[in-house]
Amino acid sequence: MAVSDGPKKTEHIKPIEKFEFFQDERVRSVFYQLLTAAIVGWAVWYLISTTAHNLEVRGMSSGFGFLNVEAGFDTDFKLVEYVPGIGTYGDIFIIGVLNTLYISALAIVASTVLGFAIGVLRLSSNWLVSKVALAYVEIFRNTPLLIQIIFWYTGIFSLLPKIRQSYDLSGGTEFVLLNNRGLYMAWPVPGDLLWMTGVAFIVAVIAVVIFRRWNRKRQDATGQVFPTFMPSAALIIFLPGIVFAITGSPLGWDLPKLEGFNFVGGATVPPAFLALLVALSIYHAAHLAESVRAGILSVNRGQRDAALAIGLRQNRVFSLVVIPQAMPAIVPPMISLWMNVVKNSSLAIAIGYPDLVAVFMQTSLNQAGRAIEIVGMTMAFYMFVSLTISGLLNIYNKRVQLVER
Amino acid sequence: MAIVKAEKTPARAAPISESSLIGWMRMHLFSSTFNSILTVISLYIIYITVFGVWKWGVTDAVWVAGNRRECFNISINGACWAGVITWLDNIFYGRYPREDLWRVNLGGLLLFIWMAPLWLPRVKAKVFIGLTTVFLYPFLAGYLFAGGEKGIFMQVMITAAIVCLLGNTTHSIIGLFTGRSLPEFLIRLLGKNAASEKSQRNILLGILVLSFAVVYIWQMGWSVEVVPWTKWGGLFLTLVISGVGIASALPGGIILALGRRSKLPVVRVLSTAFIELFRSVPLITVLFMATTMFPLFMPEGFVLNKLVQVIIAVCLFNACYMAETVRAGLQAIPKGQFEGAHTIGLGYVGTMSLVVMPQALKHMIPNIVGSFIGLLKDTTLVSIIGLFDILGMLRSISRDTPWLGLHKEPLIFGAALFFLICFGMSKYSRHLEVKLSTGNKH
Repeated sequence: MAVSDGPKKTEHIKPIEKFEFFQDERVRSVFYQLLTAAIVGWAVWYLISTTAHNLEVRGMSSGFGFLNVEAGFDTDFKLVEYVPGIGTYGDIFIIGVLNTLYISALAIVASTVLGFAIGVLRLSSNWLVSKVALAYVEIFRNTPLLIQIIFWYTGIFSLLPKIRQSYDLSGGTEFVLLNNRGLYMAWPVPGDLLWMTGVAFIVAVIAVVIFRRWNRKRQDATGQVFPTFMPSAALIIFLPGIVFAITGSPLGWDLPKLEGFNFVGGATVPPAFLALLVALSIYHAAHLAESVRAGILSVNRGQRDAALAIGLRQNRVFSLVVIPQAMPAIVPPMISLWMNVVKNSSLAIAIGYPDLVAVFMQTSLNQAGRAIEIVGMTMAFYMFVSLTISGLLNIYNKRVQLVER
Repeated sequence: MAIVKAEKTPARAAPISESSLIGWMRMHLFSSTFNSILTVISLYIIYITVFGVWKWGVTDAVWVAGNRRECFNISINGACWAGVITWLDNIFYGRYPREDLWRVNLGGLLLFIWMAPLWLPRVKAKVFIGLTTVFLYPFLAGYLFAGGEKGIFMQVMITAAIVCLLGNTTHSIIGLFTGRSLPEFLIRLLGKNAASEKSQRNILLGILVLSFAVVYIWQMGWSVEVVPWTKWGGLFLTLVISGVGIASALPGGIILALGRRSKLPVVRVLSTAFIELFRSVPLITVLFMATTMFPLFMPEGFVLNKLVQVIIAVCLFNACYMAETVRAGLQAIPKGQFEGAHTIGLGYVGTMSLVVMPQALKHMIPNIVGSFIGLLKDTTLVSIIGLFDILGMLRSISRDTPWLGLHKEPLIFGAALFFLICFGMSKYSRHLEVKLSTGNKH
């Protein structure tokens, strides 16, 4: 075998000294960014100029002046004083915002409670219970929310008996009445000395907080566990209760009374409100149940076994070991679900509950025009809410991460 | 001192056997008092709901009747399915001309034929088939549904779609029987396996051009009548809107997601703002924006019809949701993959299209199916702004004079229909997830 001998001459390849302008990464990045900015800028300019032109041609005025103009229509559910004909479009906006927030808040509470319950049932060792929970989750998750809302409204709450045959949900005391006009509730009327009960309640809460702190310190020092739940509950219930009784029960009830064709007094919510609340809660509870289940399952099986091995009881295993570790996995999807509740409450428009989209984006827009301003304000509201909620989520995530490492 | 127990410790009872029915029930239903109570409660709930629904919906139901009053006369407490059955055509096709229904059915059938190879194990080039479904099928189906005069562009696209469909189908039939691809088979058929790669390619190109020409000339001969979009409706319209939404959400979502992860600040900020804007508002507000503001955006004399407005809105909205799904998938790809691709000299486009995206998309399939289900359910919102999609049709039954006030039955029917579609899809995606994840471990 012939091997070429002699020192091998390595050839040095001279790098090409030419500077290729467009091959430089920085040049390219600036170029692409300029290009994107130019395209977007052109599109925005084009939209603005055509819109301005169109507005001019159609003789449409713009600006936010319409918010001070009287709106000539009424809404059948509102949380603030409003007189049609005197109230302005600005008031309508506020009514819509409050109605949206009100129903969203209630639906968030209801769906969270229900979702946790169903999620835990879904993991029950009882075969039948877990299958019933599964059926619930699959049925409500896989049908459109809008169909569910309309079903509850037209199929259930609109078919309730008439005013005179109202269902009495409080067992004959006429505190809570349900009929096809909605839900009529007695409304508390605070008496003179009610503030003392409130003070007592606050005192009780502060006492419970101090008591719990003391208990934790004692446990850290001595290892002894003092039962906290029952004393705390007793304190919070009985201290205000006793004060309430001593001050002579200063609380009256404004009962709904049948006058003519309708109930007068008390508080009422329309059937659309009930339908929306029920549908939103049930639908989102089904989604939350799956997140809860996934979160609990994400806790390592060994954690539970170890907790059982050191002698903790089943419910303590759950509350001290499983739930704290599952929460970081449950909370982020739960918070984005809350955001969905707020967004989906806009489906109220299909059944006539006067939420922001219904009263502002539909009725006001039809009457006052000003599409751009109204659409912008409505979207800004929803963006504000979701930015707030995702801000909360970020704070939570940061705290959880700090605890972990 | 040793302690000796005088008596023998009694043997413990045998554990409950799980194999017998009684044993299983004791294990899973009556393991404790609390569990027994729960079992009884659930049995009661099941009894109430299942028997209630069964009695109302099946045994007491009326299936044949002329109007709602007749329903009541036959059975006062049962469901009146007769109204739903009478309206069945409307629920599925809206007011599409009855003599032209074959066009809708043919469109559905073509889609099925087009996509069926994706499920056949031996067929190759599934990515190509998938891509052509997204990019060519809509033209063919769009023309079938809408009809009218074909422009040059539409003629070319329709021809391309037909050629592609024919090619795909023969390709998959050949693949199913021989395991080969269509080009291989054609070359073998012509006995040119020995020829050089270049001449093989020329032959294939010739065949392609020839078939294109033949189909082009053939399609010039026929056309279908115009069906205005106002006649579209029912499940058909729902599927059209969500189908277009799905087909455009994926590419749009990929572009937005790449933009959001881009190193270029301008691109990143713009994409992020766009995504967050649409994700933080409800779909219904986007739909309202489309119907009220799009006309202002358009130059004079240029009018978009409502269907197009709605479809644009749905596409924008879903692209933003899809972008977040894609972004999550991209984040799951380890950095080494990017670096490896750079090392072998791939640029940005090469890295993304050849290395990162194929892996990411595979991971994302369950989530993508999830967002498709969401999109399909969300499409019902178009009924609020006055399109007669499936929900709009279901609601108009209760306004039809003979069936005045018939609310529950149509809605339950629609819900059941959606349940079948969505539940089937989610079950399938879970199956797919399992299949792909086991394939990943080795």
